[in-house]
Amino acid sequence: MTGLLSVERLSKNFGGLQAVSDLSFEVAEAEILGIIGPNGAGKTTAVNLVSGVIQPTSGRVSLGGKDVTGHAPHALVESGLVRTFQATTVYAGETVRENLLRGAFRQIYPGLLPTLLETAAARARREQANAHVDEVMHWLDLMRVEHNIASSLPYGIQKVLGMGIGLAAEPRLILLDEPAAGLSAEETDHVRDTIREVRKRGIAVVVIDHNMRFIVDLCDRVLVMAQGRELARGKPQEVLRDPRVIEAYLGKRYAQAQH
Amino acid sequence: MGARNRTFAILAAIVLLGWPWLTDDKFLHHVGVLICITSIAACSLHLIIRTGHVSLCHTAFMGFGAYGSAITVMRLGLPWPAGLLVGTALAAAVAAVIGPIVLRLTGKYFVLITFLMGEVVRMAIVENASLTGGSNGIFDVPPPYPFLLSNRAYYYFALAFAVLGVGFCARLLTSEFGRAMNAIREGERLAECSGVPVIRFKVTVFVIACALAGMAGSLQAHYIRFVGPDAYSGFQSLNLVIMNVIGGMTSLAGALIGTVFMVTLPELLRGYVNIQQILFGAILFATMAFLPGGIIEAVRRVRGLFMPSKPRPAT
Repeated sequence: MTGLLSVERLSKNFGGLQAVSDLSFEVAEAEILGIIGPNGAGKTTAVNLVSGVIQPTSGRVSLGGKDVTGHAPHALVESGLVRTFQATTVYAGETVRENLLRGAFRQIYPGLLPTLLETAAARARREQANAHVDEVMHWLDLMRVEHNIASSLPYGIQKVLGMGIGLAAEPRLILLDEPAAGLSAEETDHVRDTIREVRKRGIAVVVIDHNMRFIVDLCDRVLVMAQGRELARGKPQEVLRDPRVIEAYLGKRYAQAQH
Repeated sequence: MGARNRTFAILAAIVLLGWPWLTDDKFLHHVGVLICITSIAACSLHLIIRTGHVSLCHTAFMGFGAYGSAITVMRLGLPWPAGLLVGTALAAAVAAVIGPIVLRLTGKYFVLITFLMGEVVRMAIVENASLTGGSNGIFDVPPPYPFLLSNRAYYYFALAFAVLGVGFCARLLTSEFGRAMNAIREGERLAECSGVPVIRFKVTVFVIACALAGMAGSLQAHYIRFVGPDAYSGFQSLNLVIMNVIGGMTSLAGALIGTVFMVTLPELLRGYVNIQQILFGAILFATMAFLPGGIIEAVRRVRGLFMPSKPRPAT
């Protein structure tokens, strides 16, 4: 098992606040890693650090053996890493297809001069990107709403579309920041199945969420964070039985009562 | 669809090329020239607006073009094409230097800083009188070529540049680059995370737009045959913004309609100079209150009444 993403001793200080300290983990090809933890554990900061939205104070991020620490998000997309955002982030006023085509920027954009001159290479890229967008719509079951305006879609579908925008960039690894937040049980199941579908295509997934059942159902491994540090890691069922994890979530008394 | 577009293009060409021969009124030809030159400026500003930034110093870049061109031709004795080139390059170079700095600001902060930059440029022009003629400006700027002294001839000259300039803007917006511009405006963070190098694209658009403004400035200077600091003040930049707002900020056609409207109206209202500004204000208010999408929105709505709806084109 070779590591696709490798994070070593990543730390971030905001002023005096140690938001993330000494965080290390690896993600293998086509693996689903869950990151959980109570509010304020530093999960979102960790995702922001890995995806280049903020710069780490120290530590190293490498992707496929290449050091990408502190690279800007658009450069990371080039290296095969994309992310989604906690709140639904879609282009609200555009159709589903247009949303996905914008996500496919990396494949569709041939450079300024070729796109202005509409060269053969530019046309070939557009055709390829269109075909790939069709494929993404198939995986995510978005064919029926292809020409609908994103803001008119139910919240759950918008979340799936947000994921689709990321997938349109043909990543090797996708970071999902709370893909199931605010969804009904039924919608959550749909998102879960969709993520499994994504993994089947050989794409590694790092997913943050609060919904424990969702994470346990979905992930190969789970990393638990508390106060910016790693608290535990391992198979979902094992991790959930770990007294330190129970303590972090439910308090000391509860953890002792269990044992 | 293609056939209808072609019909429209041929009709537009006949009207644009033919109308100056229907009248010998030099004043109408003059308005025609102003519309051509201003359309380049308004459409280039439209490009910047399409990346989500409202610039209040766009005419300052016309100023770089105008002064650069006039000084090159008059002081250095070079022919007009050299002046055009110097003016355009000067505007582009300044944009390339300040763009990467100011384009990191968004919303009202960008508006404020560009307004201040416009004032700085105006002050710099006024203070460097030995080069720029100060507040008096530079008189007797020669026409590009002697035969362009006639308004009608200059109209065709300016029209050629307008077709090139506006056509270039349209091409840019309908290309994959334009798709990325829309993505940046509607979701900067999202676009960045789809691999769009946001700042680099914004700077590219800014440089292209300011170069076009510089080109328009050169055309204007050698037509009006005078350059002065007031023609390139923040007030004039605001007019360019208003053209975009009145016409409709989401389409290039809106910027064109706004240009025709804003250039023609003051000329029609010459008899009412004192209430002109009030009227303008009222029109602007009415547009924003009832037609937030601008005149182009009204056109779309009317067309929607007569035609079955179809998917909105990408521009």
